[in-house]
Amino acid sequence: MTAVLGRYGRILFCFARNGLVRELSFRVNFAVTVISEILWLGMMLVFVEVIFRFTKQIDGWSNHEYLFLLGTHFLISSLFEAFFFGNLQRISAQIRTGDLDFVLLKPANTQFLLSFERISYTALANIPLGIILCVYAFSQLSVSLTVKHVAMFVVLVCSGVVTLYSLMFMFSATSVWLIRQTSASHFWFYLTSCSKYPAEIYKPMVRGVLWFALTFVFPVLIVANLPANVMVRVFEPYLVAYALFIAVGLLLFSSLVFNWALRKYRSASS
Amino acid sequence: MRKYWQVFRISLADRFVYRTDFLIGTFLRFAPIVTTIALWRAVYAGAGREEIGSLRYGEMVSYYLIVMIARAFGSMPGLASTLATDIRDGNLRKFIVQPLSYVIYHLHLRMAHKSVYFVMAALPYALVFFWCRGFLPGWPAGELWPLCILSLVLAFFLGFMINMAIGLLSFWFMEVTSFMFIFMVSQYFLSGHQFPLTLLPDWLERSVTLLPFAYETFFPVMMLMGKMNAAEAGQLIAGQCIWIAILSGVVAVGWRRGLRRYAAFGG
Repeated sequence: MTAVLGRYGRILFCFARNGLVRELSFRVNFAVTVISEILWLGMMLVFVEVIFRFTKQIDGWSNHEYLFLLGTHFLISSLFEAFFFGNLQRISAQIRTGDLDFVLLKPANTQFLLSFERISYTALANIPLGIILCVYAFSQLSVSLTVKHVAMFVVLVCSGVVTLYSLMFMFSATSVWLIRQTSASHFWFYLTSCSKYPAEIYKPMVRGVLWFALTFVFPVLIVANLPANVMVRVFEPYLVAYALFIAVGLLLFSSLVFNWALRKYRSASS
Repeated sequence: MRKYWQVFRISLADRFVYRTDFLIGTFLRFAPIVTTIALWRAVYAGAGREEIGSLRYGEMVSYYLIVMIARAFGSMPGLASTLATDIRDGNLRKFIVQPLSYVIYHLHLRMAHKSVYFVMAALPYALVFFWCRGFLPGWPAGELWPLCILSLVLAFFLGFMINMAIGLLSFWFMEVTSFMFIFMVSQYFLSGHQFPLTLLPDWLERSVTLLPFAYETFFPVMMLMGKMNAAEAGQLIAGQCIWIAILSGVVAVGWRRGLRRYAAFGG
């Protein structure tokens, strides 16, 4: 067991080092991307300020509670982008061009190799931005800070990342059947951005069907909403258990779907 | 003129190749409208007032719907970065040696893209607008119709010139593709794509509308929503023309200056 862990640890370290070398060869690009992310977040904050000029709350979320949710969303999506997004996005092309063959031939778990190959240090640099926003928003709220809450928050943030990862990994695996999915990836992007807003706003839509679907069937709404709820609003143990159950369940399920898809993989070229 | 007509025709045929992906893609582009409807319902309920930034709830949702129409005219995906890549990789040679203006060539290319887009997107747009008809404020007043269409067409030329001007920066800076993201983010907000500019505090609204971006989306949308009288509509058209003239001048001068610096990399 330790030998296996050690081996995968070494592979991970190798990936991380290669990524750093690649990133360092485009330093200006790195700086500009970070600046543009800050700009994007800044613009989002302007939007939030604009909305809260007119109202005191959005379906029960006050200005600073919502800022905390936005910070949590930013934190989770940065973590997801740093480790997985680029890798998962490439899977579709690897299947189409037949490059998946080279990954399959390597003596290590295919899902692991596909998922961790490149780390985006640019996205990694965004993580502090999310944390800063969370800390600021939290300091403006009169909520007490306990170790239990912070621990739950960390666990839920991680399970949120795992949830996003599993959903997108399954989605990428479907390119075995769909081959081309450019428009589908736009849709994916939209679905994950749903989670930027309080889940409650979707409740009146289509008699609650939409809220139900996005919470239980395609659970993107819980990703940022749950951790934010736990920290600044209500702490409901059963929701935490649900989030963990979803994360672990989806992770296992995504692996099943992938292995099933692999059996249909036909490779490409000659 | 004949050669540009050929460019237009070839590009037209090229665009019809990926039909299905296109139709699905157009539909899905409307998906965020669901979030818009949900979010603003909550905001209006929370605010407990009829109007926010002089817009009622239905008008607010319509604003975002009509923005999609204005963007269909004004957005130029990939134009600035195509120009940047052509300059950096030396591809521009190909155009310089031909008796053909690069800028006018691309203008025709984009007109062809847009023509196909309008034909193919008509159905998805019509369906979405039909579903959302409860939110829409009704048709613009009869006498404003020609002005509405004119302002959309001008939004196309304005979008084209803005993106060309940004792309031209590549003559002076090697790596502009990353700056383009910054530009796109700013444009997204300054043109009123993220929210109607009337929501801003007055002084900020006044400063933002001094820039050309508002003439690409925000003002035409307000006109289409029937928020402008004839005089205001006339001012909008004039403003668009002035910005197109200024930016065309910038592109023409920038192009000539830039070519002098151009090194034509590659063998």
